[in-house]
Amino acid sequence: MSRVSLATPIAAVALVLSGAASLPAATARAQAPAALPDWSGVWAMDGPTIFDGASVQPPNGRSGQPGVREFPPYTEEWEAIYRRNIELVEQGLFPDPISACGLPHGFPRIMNVPDVYEFAVTRGAVYILAENGPGIMRIYTDGRAHPPAEELWATYTGASVGRWEGDTLVFTTISLKGASGNDVIVDRTGLVLSDASRATTRMRKIDDSTIEAQMTIEDDKALTKPWQVTKRYKKQPAGTWAWDYSCGENNRNPVTSSGRTLTLGPDGQPLDRVTE
Amino acid sequence: MSSTRRCLVVMGLLGAAWPLAAHHSASMFDDTKLVELSGTVKALQWTNPHIWLQVMIDDTEWSLEGGSPNSLSRQGWRSTTFKSGDEVTVRLRPMKDGTPAGQFVGAKFAGDGRTVGRWE
Repeated sequence: MSRVSLATPIAAVALVLSGAASLPAATARAQAPAALPDWSGVWAMDGPTIFDGASVQPPNGRSGQPGVREFPPYTEEWEAIYRRNIELVEQGLFPDPISACGLPHGFPRIMNVPDVYEFAVTRGAVYILAENGPGIMRIYTDGRAHPPAEELWATYTGASVGRWEGDTLVFTTISLKGASGNDVIVDRTGLVLSDASRATTRMRKIDDSTIEAQMTIEDDKALTKPWQVTKRYKKQPAGTWAWDYSCGENNRNPVTSSGRTLTLGPDGQPLDRVTE
Repeated sequence: MSSTRRCLVVMGLLGAAWPLAAHHSASMFDDTKLVELSGTVKALQWTNPHIWLQVMIDDTEWSLEGGSPNSLSRQGWRSTTFKSGDEVTVRLRPMKDGTPAGQFVGAKFAGDGRTVGRWE
Protein backbone atom coordinates (compact mmCIF):
# COMPACT_ATOMS: atom_id res chain seq x y z
CA MET A 1 0.00 0.00 0.00
CA SER A 2 1.44 3.32 -0.93
CA ARG A 3 1.60 6.30 1.41
CA VAL A 4 -1.01 8.02 -0.69
CA SER A 5 -3.52 5.23 -0.31
CA LEU A 6 -3.03 5.34 3.46
CA ALA A 7 -3.40 9.07 3.74
CA THR A 8 -6.62 9.28 1.79
CA PRO A 9 -8.83 7.26 4.15
CA ILE A 10 -7.29 8.98 7.17
CA ALA A 11 -8.16 12.34 5.69
CA ALA A 12 -11.66 11.14 4.92
CA VAL A 13 -12.13 9.95 8.51
CA ALA A 14 -10.89 13.28 9.79
CA LEU A 15 -13.38 15.09 7.60
CA VAL A 16 -16.24 12.92 8.83
CA LEU A 17 -15.24 13.35 12.47
CA SER A 18 -15.08 17.10 12.04
CA GLY A 19 -18.48 17.10 10.42
CA ALA A 20 -17.14 18.94 7.41
CA ALA A 21 -17.83 16.11 4.97
CA SER A 22 -21.56 16.24 5.66
CA LEU A 23 -21.95 20.02 5.37
CA PRO A 24 -22.67 21.99 2.22
CA ALA A 25 -19.82 23.50 0.28
CA ALA A 26 -20.71 26.95 1.56
CA THR A 27 -19.45 25.87 4.97
CA ALA A 28 -15.95 26.46 3.69
CA ARG A 29 -16.63 30.20 4.06
CA ALA A 30 -16.92 29.96 7.84
CA GLN A 31 -14.43 32.21 9.58
CA ALA A 32 -11.19 30.71 10.83
CA PRO A 33 -11.16 30.68 14.64
CA ALA A 34 -8.12 32.94 14.84
CA ALA A 35 -9.96 35.66 12.96
CA LEU A 36 -13.02 35.69 15.19
CA PRO A 37 -13.44 38.60 17.61
CA ASP A 38 -13.19 38.09 21.35
CA TRP A 39 -16.64 38.64 22.82
CA SER A 40 -15.88 36.54 25.88
CA GLY A 41 -17.09 37.51 29.32
CA VAL A 42 -20.43 38.49 30.78
CA TRP A 43 -22.31 41.52 29.49
CA ALA A 44 -25.32 43.56 30.52
CA MET A 45 -27.53 45.81 28.45
CA ASP A 46 -26.75 49.48 28.91
CA GLY A 47 -29.88 51.28 30.08
CA PRO A 48 -33.41 50.26 30.92
CA THR A 49 -35.63 47.87 28.99
CA ILE A 50 -37.00 50.50 26.64
CA PHE A 51 -36.44 49.06 23.18
CA ASP A 52 -35.93 52.34 21.32
CA GLY A 53 -34.34 54.69 23.81
CA ALA A 54 -33.74 57.22 21.05
CA SER A 55 -37.44 57.91 20.57
CA VAL A 56 -38.96 57.27 23.99
CA GLN A 57 -41.18 59.95 25.47
CA PRO A 58 -40.93 61.26 28.06
CA PRO A 59 -37.14 61.08 27.89
CA ASN A 60 -35.84 58.42 30.29
CA GLY A 61 -39.33 56.95 30.57
CA ARG A 62 -39.38 53.37 31.80
CA SER A 63 -41.05 50.45 30.14
CA GLY A 64 -44.36 49.65 31.80
CA GLN A 65 -44.88 53.09 33.32
CA PRO A 66 -48.15 54.65 32.17
CA GLY A 67 -47.73 57.38 29.60
CA VAL A 68 -44.42 56.14 28.24
CA ARG A 69 -44.13 55.35 24.55
CA GLU A 70 -41.73 55.11 21.64
CA PHE A 71 -42.22 56.24 18.07
CA PRO A 72 -41.58 53.49 15.56
CA PRO A 73 -42.64 54.41 12.00
CA TYR A 74 -45.93 52.58 12.39
CA THR A 75 -48.66 52.39 9.80
CA GLU A 76 -51.95 53.90 10.93
CA GLU A 77 -53.33 50.45 11.70
CA TRP A 78 -50.38 49.48 13.90
CA GLU A 79 -50.20 52.88 15.56
CA ALA A 80 -53.80 52.24 16.60
CA ILE A 81 -52.79 48.81 17.94
CA TYR A 82 -49.95 50.41 19.90
CA ARG A 83 -52.29 53.07 21.31
CA ARG A 84 -54.71 50.38 22.48
CA ASN A 85 -51.83 48.57 24.16
CA ILE A 86 -50.74 51.82 25.83
CA GLU A 87 -54.27 52.22 27.20
CA LEU A 88 -54.09 48.69 28.57
CA VAL A 89 -50.77 49.52 30.24
CA GLU A 90 -52.47 52.48 31.92
CA GLN A 91 -55.26 50.19 33.12
CA GLY A 92 -52.79 47.58 34.38
CA LEU A 93 -54.16 45.12 31.86
CA PHE A 94 -51.23 44.69 29.47
CA PRO A 95 -49.62 41.48 30.67
CA ASP A 96 -46.10 40.52 29.80
CA PRO A 97 -46.25 37.17 27.95
CA ILE A 98 -43.13 35.96 29.74
CA SER A 99 -44.96 36.25 33.08
CA ALA A 100 -46.47 32.87 32.30
CA CYS A 101 -42.94 31.43 32.61
CA GLY A 102 -42.10 29.22 29.68
CA LEU A 103 -42.44 31.52 26.69
CA PRO A 104 -39.25 33.04 25.29
CA HIS A 105 -38.80 36.75 24.76
CA GLY A 106 -38.42 36.30 21.03
CA PHE A 107 -36.52 38.57 18.69
CA PRO A 108 -35.93 41.50 18.79
CA ARG A 109 -36.92 41.61 22.45
CA ILE A 110 -34.12 39.21 23.38
CA MET A 111 -31.77 42.10 22.65
CA ASN A 112 -33.61 44.18 25.26
CA VAL A 113 -33.75 42.19 28.48
CA PRO A 114 -32.40 42.75 32.00
CA ASP A 115 -29.82 40.67 33.84
CA VAL A 116 -26.78 39.53 31.86
CA TYR A 117 -25.78 38.17 28.49
CA GLU A 118 -23.06 35.97 27.06
CA PHE A 119 -22.16 36.06 23.38
CA ALA A 120 -20.65 32.76 22.32
CA VAL A 121 -18.68 33.21 19.12
CA THR A 122 -17.80 29.95 17.40
CA ARG A 123 -16.51 29.13 13.97
CA GLY A 124 -19.88 28.33 12.48
CA ALA A 125 -22.37 30.15 14.69
CA VAL A 126 -22.85 32.87 17.25
CA TYR A 127 -25.11 32.19 20.21
CA ILE A 128 -26.75 34.99 22.15
CA LEU A 129 -27.36 33.67 25.65
CA ALA A 130 -29.64 35.83 27.75
CA GLU A 131 -29.70 34.83 31.39
CA ASN A 132 -33.18 36.31 31.76
CA GLY A 133 -35.87 34.12 30.37
CA PRO A 134 -33.61 32.26 29.81
CA GLY A 135 -33.23 33.10 26.15
CA ILE A 136 -31.13 31.61 23.37
CA MET A 137 -30.70 32.94 19.86
CA ARG A 138 -28.73 31.07 17.23
CA ILE A 139 -27.07 32.88 14.35
CA TYR A 140 -25.46 30.55 11.84
CA THR A 141 -22.33 31.93 10.20
CA ASP A 142 -21.22 28.78 8.37
CA GLY A 143 -22.26 30.14 5.01
CA ARG A 144 -25.72 28.61 4.88
CA ALA A 145 -28.67 30.52 3.52
CA HIS A 146 -32.08 30.82 5.17
CA PRO A 147 -34.17 27.72 4.63
CA PRO A 148 -36.61 27.92 1.72
CA ALA A 149 -40.02 29.29 2.64
CA GLU A 150 -41.70 25.88 2.56
CA GLU A 151 -39.34 24.65 5.28
CA LEU A 152 -39.96 27.58 7.62
CA TRP A 153 -42.61 28.31 10.21
CA ALA A 154 -42.89 31.38 12.35
CA THR A 155 -41.01 31.12 15.64
CA TYR A 156 -40.16 33.40 18.55
CA THR A 157 -36.56 34.08 17.55
CA GLY A 158 -36.97 33.22 13.87
CA ALA A 159 -34.18 32.01 11.62
CA SER A 160 -30.91 33.92 11.53
CA VAL A 161 -27.93 33.59 9.23
CA GLY A 162 -24.95 35.88 9.19
CA ARG A 163 -21.43 36.58 8.09
CA TRP A 164 -18.42 38.37 9.43
CA GLU A 165 -17.42 41.65 7.84
CA GLY A 166 -14.10 42.08 9.58
CA ASP A 167 -14.99 42.34 13.26
CA THR A 168 -18.66 43.01 12.58
CA LEU A 169 -21.27 40.27 12.70
CA VAL A 170 -23.96 40.99 10.15
CA PHE A 171 -27.03 38.79 10.35
CA THR A 172 -30.55 38.72 9.01
CA THR A 173 -33.49 37.35 10.91
CA ILE A 174 -36.71 36.17 9.27
CA SER A 175 -39.68 33.94 10.05
CA LEU A 176 -40.73 35.66 13.27
CA LYS A 177 -44.05 35.17 15.06
CA GLY A 178 -44.36 38.81 15.99
CA ALA A 179 -47.69 39.58 17.63
CA SER A 180 -49.59 37.02 15.54
CA GLY A 181 -50.11 34.69 18.49
CA ASN A 182 -50.52 37.51 21.01
CA ASP A 183 -47.60 36.10 22.95
CA VAL A 184 -44.66 38.22 21.78
CA ILE A 185 -44.09 41.86 22.64
CA VAL A 186 -41.07 44.07 22.07
CA ASP A 187 -41.30 45.87 25.37
CA ARG A 188 -43.79 46.67 28.11
CA THR A 189 -44.83 50.03 26.73
CA GLY A 190 -47.06 47.91 24.48
CA LEU A 191 -44.67 47.86 21.54
CA VAL A 192 -45.32 45.01 19.08
CA LEU A 193 -44.34 43.98 15.54
CA SER A 194 -46.12 41.77 13.04
CA ASP A 195 -45.31 38.34 11.69
CA ALA A 196 -43.95 40.10 8.60
CA SER A 197 -41.13 41.63 10.61
CA ARG A 198 -37.53 40.87 9.73
CA ALA A 199 -34.27 42.51 10.66
CA THR A 200 -30.70 43.03 9.65
CA THR A 201 -28.41 43.42 12.63
CA ARG A 202 -24.84 44.68 12.66
CA MET A 203 -23.07 43.75 15.85
CA ARG A 204 -19.53 44.61 16.85
CA LYS A 205 -17.32 45.52 19.75
CA ILE A 206 -16.91 49.28 19.64
CA ASP A 207 -14.40 49.34 22.49
CA ASP A 208 -12.99 46.85 24.97
CA SER A 209 -16.03 47.12 27.24
CA THR A 210 -18.89 47.71 24.80
CA ILE A 211 -20.67 45.61 22.21
CA GLU A 212 -23.12 47.45 19.99
CA ALA A 213 -26.01 45.98 18.00
CA GLN A 214 -27.56 48.13 15.30
CA MET A 215 -30.85 46.66 14.16
CA THR A 216 -32.66 47.71 11.03
CA ILE A 217 -36.17 46.35 11.31
CA GLU A 218 -38.52 46.07 8.37
CA ASP A 219 -42.15 45.09 8.61
CA ASP A 220 -44.39 45.30 5.55
CA LYS A 221 -47.51 45.16 7.73
CA ALA A 222 -46.62 47.34 10.69
CA LEU A 223 -44.01 49.85 9.51
CA THR A 224 -43.96 52.48 6.79
CA LYS A 225 -40.17 52.43 6.53
CA PRO A 226 -37.19 50.64 8.10
CA TRP A 227 -36.81 51.29 11.80
CA GLN A 228 -33.30 51.57 13.18
CA VAL A 229 -32.63 50.79 16.81
CA THR A 230 -29.27 50.56 18.56
CA LYS A 231 -28.62 48.63 21.76
CA ARG A 232 -25.37 48.50 23.69
CA TYR A 233 -24.02 45.96 26.15
CA LYS A 234 -21.37 46.69 28.77
CA LYS A 235 -18.81 44.15 29.87
CA GLN A 236 -19.19 43.13 33.49
CA PRO A 237 -16.22 42.75 35.85
CA ALA A 238 -13.95 39.79 35.20
CA GLY A 239 -15.19 36.71 36.97
CA THR A 240 -18.85 37.72 36.86
CA TRP A 241 -21.15 34.72 36.83
CA ALA A 242 -24.28 34.16 34.79
CA TRP A 243 -26.63 31.83 36.60
CA ASP A 244 -29.45 29.44 35.99
CA TYR A 245 -32.75 31.32 35.74
CA SER A 246 -35.86 29.23 36.11
CA CYS A 247 -38.87 31.50 35.82
CA GLY A 248 -41.22 28.78 36.98
CA GLU A 249 -39.33 28.08 40.21
CA ASN A 250 -41.47 30.38 42.33
CA ASN A 251 -43.66 32.51 40.10
CA ARG A 252 -45.92 34.46 42.42
CA ASN A 253 -47.25 36.69 39.65
CA PRO A 254 -49.68 34.75 37.46
CA VAL A 255 -51.86 36.56 34.92
CA THR A 256 -55.66 36.35 34.90
CA SER A 257 -57.72 35.76 31.77
CA SER A 258 -58.42 39.49 31.61
CA GLY A 259 -54.73 40.33 31.61
CA ARG A 260 -54.35 41.45 35.19
CA THR A 261 -51.11 40.40 36.89
CA LEU A 262 -51.74 39.02 40.36
CA THR A 263 -49.53 38.83 43.41
CA LEU A 264 -49.66 35.60 45.37
CA GLY A 265 -48.98 35.21 49.05
CA PRO A 266 -46.57 32.59 50.38
CA ASP A 267 -49.48 30.16 50.55
CA GLY A 268 -50.07 30.47 46.80
CA GLN A 269 -53.33 32.35 47.19
CA PRO A 270 -53.84 35.77 45.55
CA LEU A 271 -53.26 38.72 47.83
CA ASP A 272 -55.01 41.07 45.41
CA ARG A 273 -58.49 42.34 46.09
CA VAL A 274 -59.57 41.11 42.67
CA THR A 275 -62.26 38.49 42.30
CA GLU A 276 -62.07 37.78 38.56
CA MET B 1 -38.97 43.87 67.70
CA SER B 2 -41.22 44.69 70.59
CA SER B 3 -42.98 47.51 68.87
CA THR B 4 -43.51 48.29 65.26
CA ARG B 5 -44.12 51.55 63.57
CA ARG B 6 -45.57 52.39 60.26
CA CYS B 7 -45.30 55.61 58.35
CA LEU B 8 -46.26 56.62 54.88
CA VAL B 9 -43.80 58.77 53.02
CA VAL B 10 -45.19 60.25 49.86
CA MET B 11 -42.41 61.01 47.42
CA GLY B 12 -44.10 61.71 44.13
CA LEU B 13 -41.02 61.65 41.96
CA LEU B 14 -39.65 58.36 43.21
CA GLY B 15 -41.52 56.60 40.47
CA ALA B 16 -38.85 57.74 38.07
CA ALA B 17 -36.57 55.03 39.35
CA TRP B 18 -37.70 51.41 39.34
CA PRO B 19 -35.77 49.37 41.85
CA LEU B 20 -35.91 46.05 40.04
CA ALA B 21 -36.36 44.49 36.66
CA ALA B 22 -39.41 42.30 36.99
CA HIS B 23 -40.52 39.46 34.74
CA HIS B 24 -44.04 40.87 34.92
CA SER B 25 -45.98 44.09 34.79
CA ALA B 26 -45.40 46.24 37.86
CA SER B 27 -48.80 47.87 37.53
CA MET B 28 -49.94 46.53 40.89
CA PHE B 29 -47.39 48.68 42.75
CA ASP B 30 -47.92 52.36 43.56
CA ASP B 31 -44.69 53.95 42.43
CA THR B 32 -45.70 57.35 43.82
CA LYS B 33 -45.49 56.11 47.40
CA LEU B 34 -42.74 54.84 49.61
CA VAL B 35 -43.84 53.05 52.76
CA GLU B 36 -41.57 52.37 55.71
CA LEU B 37 -42.41 49.54 58.08
CA SER B 38 -40.62 47.86 60.97
CA GLY B 39 -41.00 44.24 61.87
CA THR B 40 -39.43 40.82 62.03
CA VAL B 41 -38.24 38.74 59.10
CA LYS B 42 -40.15 35.51 58.78
CA ALA B 43 -38.38 34.13 55.70
CA LEU B 44 -36.44 35.00 52.59
CA GLN B 45 -37.49 33.05 49.52
CA TRP B 46 -34.27 33.07 47.49
CA THR B 47 -35.87 31.95 44.25
CA ASN B 48 -36.33 32.94 40.64
CA PRO B 49 -37.84 34.85 39.03
CA HIS B 50 -37.98 37.04 42.16
CA ILE B 51 -36.88 36.87 45.73
CA TRP B 52 -39.60 37.41 48.31
CA LEU B 53 -38.96 38.80 51.76
CA GLN B 54 -41.67 37.79 54.19
CA VAL B 55 -41.88 40.19 57.12
CA MET B 56 -44.22 40.11 60.09
CA ILE B 57 -45.54 43.60 60.83
CA ASP B 58 -47.52 43.42 64.05
CA ASP B 59 -49.61 40.32 63.37
CA THR B 60 -49.71 40.68 59.59
CA GLU B 61 -47.38 38.95 57.15
CA TRP B 62 -46.13 41.23 54.37
CA SER B 63 -44.73 39.94 51.08
CA LEU B 64 -42.02 42.10 49.57
CA GLU B 65 -40.91 41.32 46.05
CA GLY B 66 -37.32 41.93 45.02
CA GLY B 67 -35.20 41.27 41.96
CA SER B 68 -33.91 37.91 40.83
CA PRO B 69 -31.37 36.13 43.02
CA ASN B 70 -29.12 36.19 39.98
CA SER B 71 -28.97 39.97 39.73
CA LEU B 72 -29.05 40.52 43.48
CA SER B 73 -26.15 38.12 44.04
CA ARG B 74 -24.11 40.22 41.63
CA GLN B 75 -24.98 43.24 43.78
CA GLY B 76 -23.66 41.55 46.90
CA TRP B 77 -26.76 39.92 48.27
CA ARG B 78 -26.58 36.36 49.54
CA SER B 79 -29.24 33.80 50.28
CA THR B 80 -28.43 34.45 53.94
CA THR B 81 -28.69 38.25 53.77
CA PHE B 82 -31.97 38.06 55.68
CA LYS B 83 -32.56 35.42 58.32
CA SER B 84 -35.68 34.47 60.17
CA GLY B 85 -35.90 36.60 63.30
CA ASP B 86 -33.95 39.57 61.95
CA GLU B 87 -35.46 42.83 63.11
CA VAL B 88 -35.60 45.25 60.23
CA THR B 89 -37.11 48.42 58.91
CA VAL B 90 -38.09 47.99 55.28
CA ARG B 91 -39.04 50.45 52.57
CA LEU B 92 -41.35 49.41 49.80
CA ARG B 93 -43.67 50.61 47.10
CA PRO B 94 -47.03 49.34 48.28
CA MET B 95 -49.74 47.52 46.39
CA LYS B 96 -52.30 49.93 45.00
CA ASP B 97 -55.15 47.93 46.48
CA GLY B 98 -53.78 48.14 50.02
CA THR B 99 -53.02 44.48 50.48
CA PRO B 100 -49.97 43.67 52.64
CA ALA B 101 -47.38 43.40 49.88
CA GLY B 102 -45.13 45.61 47.84
CA GLN B 103 -42.01 46.09 45.82
CA PHE B 104 -38.89 45.93 47.97
CA VAL B 105 -36.79 49.09 47.91
CA GLY B 106 -34.43 48.81 50.86
CA ALA B 107 -33.97 47.60 54.42
CA LYS B 108 -32.10 48.59 57.55
CA PHE B 109 -31.20 46.09 60.22
CA ALA B 110 -32.10 47.14 63.75
CA GLY B 111 -29.17 45.34 65.31
CA ASP B 112 -26.16 46.82 63.54
CA GLY B 113 -27.66 49.46 61.30
CA ARG B 114 -26.61 47.73 58.09
CA THR B 115 -28.60 48.66 55.03
CA VAL B 116 -29.52 46.63 51.97
CA GLY B 117 -30.87 47.95 48.71
CA ARG B 118 -31.67 51.63 48.34
CA TRP B 119 -31.49 53.49 51.60
CA GLU B 120 -30.43 57.07 51.02
